[in-house]
Amino acid sequence: MRDETASLQPLGDALKYLILVAGAFIMVFPFIWMMIASLMTAGEIQLRPPVWLPAEPQFRNYTELPQKIPIARLYFNSLFTSALIVFGVLLSSSLAGFAFAKYRFPGREFLFYLILATMMIPFFVTLIPVFFIVRQLGWIDTYQGLVAPGLTSAYGIFLMRQFIITLPDELIDAARIDGASELRIFWRIIVPLVKPALATLGTFAFIGAWNNFLWPLLVLNSRELMTLPLGINSMKSLYADNTNLLMAGTAVAVIPMLVVFIFLQRYFIQGIALTGLKG
Amino acid sequence: MAKIGALGVLGDKQAWLPDIPKTPLMRRRMLWAYAFVAAPIIALIVFLLGPILFSGWVSLHRWDMLSPVSEMPWRGLSNYSYLLSKDPVFLKSLGNTFYFAIGGVGANTILGLGFALLLNSRIRGRAIWRVLYFMPVITAPLALAVMFSFIFDRNFGVVNNVITGLGLPRQPFLSGPNQALLTLVFIAVYQYIGYYIVIFLAGLQGIPQDYYDAAQVDGAGRIQEFRYITLPLLRPVMLFVVVTNTIGALQVFDLVFATTGGAPANSSMTVVLHMYNTAFKFSRMGRASAMAFILFAIIMLITIVQVRLLQDRAYGD
Repeated sequence: MRDETASLQPLGDALKYLILVAGAFIMVFPFIWMMIASLMTAGEIQLRPPVWLPAEPQFRNYTELPQKIPIARLYFNSLFTSALIVFGVLLSSSLAGFAFAKYRFPGREFLFYLILATMMIPFFVTLIPVFFIVRQLGWIDTYQGLVAPGLTSAYGIFLMRQFIITLPDELIDAARIDGASELRIFWRIIVPLVKPALATLGTFAFIGAWNNFLWPLLVLNSRELMTLPLGINSMKSLYADNTNLLMAGTAVAVIPMLVVFIFLQRYFIQGIALTGLKG
Repeated sequence: MAKIGALGVLGDKQAWLPDIPKTPLMRRRMLWAYAFVAAPIIALIVFLLGPILFSGWVSLHRWDMLSPVSEMPWRGLSNYSYLLSKDPVFLKSLGNTFYFAIGGVGANTILGLGFALLLNSRIRGRAIWRVLYFMPVITAPLALAVMFSFIFDRNFGVVNNVITGLGLPRQPFLSGPNQALLTLVFIAVYQYIGYYIVIFLAGLQGIPQDYYDAAQVDGAGRIQEFRYITLPLLRPVMLFVVVTNTIGALQVFDLVFATTGGAPANSSMTVVLHMYNTAFKFSRMGRASAMAFILFAIIMLITIVQVRLLQDRAYGD
């Protein structure tokens, strides 16, 4: 690498690692503290002088959790609605991106500019009307109300167009000569070639949907439909008197996602570096 | 190098000339293309374009969302003038939001670049460091809000446990009028720093090694290399980081909603939270819509200024 001088500076190296370790400690500590506190008794959390570990790990904070919040139900709702949104975003973005990249049709320029323009609209400007529309449709407190506004993404269409436009036209022409239909060309030629971009877009759409709070907060009322962030929010009343239970609930909501991330981190991070700079 | 936003998109002029297909075969393909774009375009009109126009219309009225749209009383620009002259909470929230954005963007840019430089140098276990710093990015803001409410608690938070253990006075953090907003900035930086480290790292790795080799031949030191090679070539990335981070920070909601709720005494109230309360607690849709438009205008203005500032210089090099 570039700094040959660095190896001659053990002091500089030590400092580097010291900064990295200190930074990493700050990043990881909140998660660890959440786990430790989730195994304490409610009393231990408030002890003075404070204790740093539970005298005896209270696993019943976890086993009794389903009595407080419907964990399985929350997971199902989050997974189900996030999956629908990811599917919708991937399908609509790749189809529209394909059309914008490889077809000529009147109005293409106008429509594409329209999509670029909508990319710049922040969510809070449309929040009130979208809520109103969903209410007029009678979709308050339903899955479709939660999911529908998220099924398309202007950014996704833009991203897929940018990827598909780099594919050679000859591939499509050759398939047409072989008599392939337009849908078949899309499914058999375009989709396999843009899989990396789809994986990246899908990851973003999933994290966005999974962590979304404001929209579910507005649309959903009943406990049966709550997603994980709403579940955490509904547990906040446990704070102070039962902080240990609140931490156990939050850990159950957060840790599985982190484990998935650690296994797939390479794809996450590559995708972010890729689209962050492309987008 | 990286192209930012839509600026580099419309390069091929040829493709943008309108042409109506002449043969039946081409016309059929055209119909397929319309079929492919139809559903997304309709969805974007229903859920984005229509709503933004409607929102602008609502901002000129008084509306509680229950009375029919056709009977909204016209208020002209009075919602806007009320917000800018008579609503102390709005002005306060605007100031808070700026403070939050400036603090967060400043810290994320400097620390993000700093840690990216560290990780780009000779270091063991780059992937592991990256994962550790990235964990909060994928965690729900609401979970982080709950975790940090506990960590910064005035009475039994771990930070106060340490502080008092050292013999220092207990700090209110999120419950203190002078500390709540600063604590929120800290949490937001904690949350997103990993994202910006990854972006900066990708940018650093995109700088050709030749430049540094040439600089070393010319006898440049590390600081000169940073000043005359790294920084100028990193400008597009810097632009991306500053612009996206600013846009995001000005819209902060989840974190504030779930920690302070804007308290104490609106000292941590932000614009989107105030808008949410105005609309969904007090049913003042007109005023809330006007708020949204003022913030939207501010975001666009700031974005334009930032793009101008950072891009002019990038092309000046």
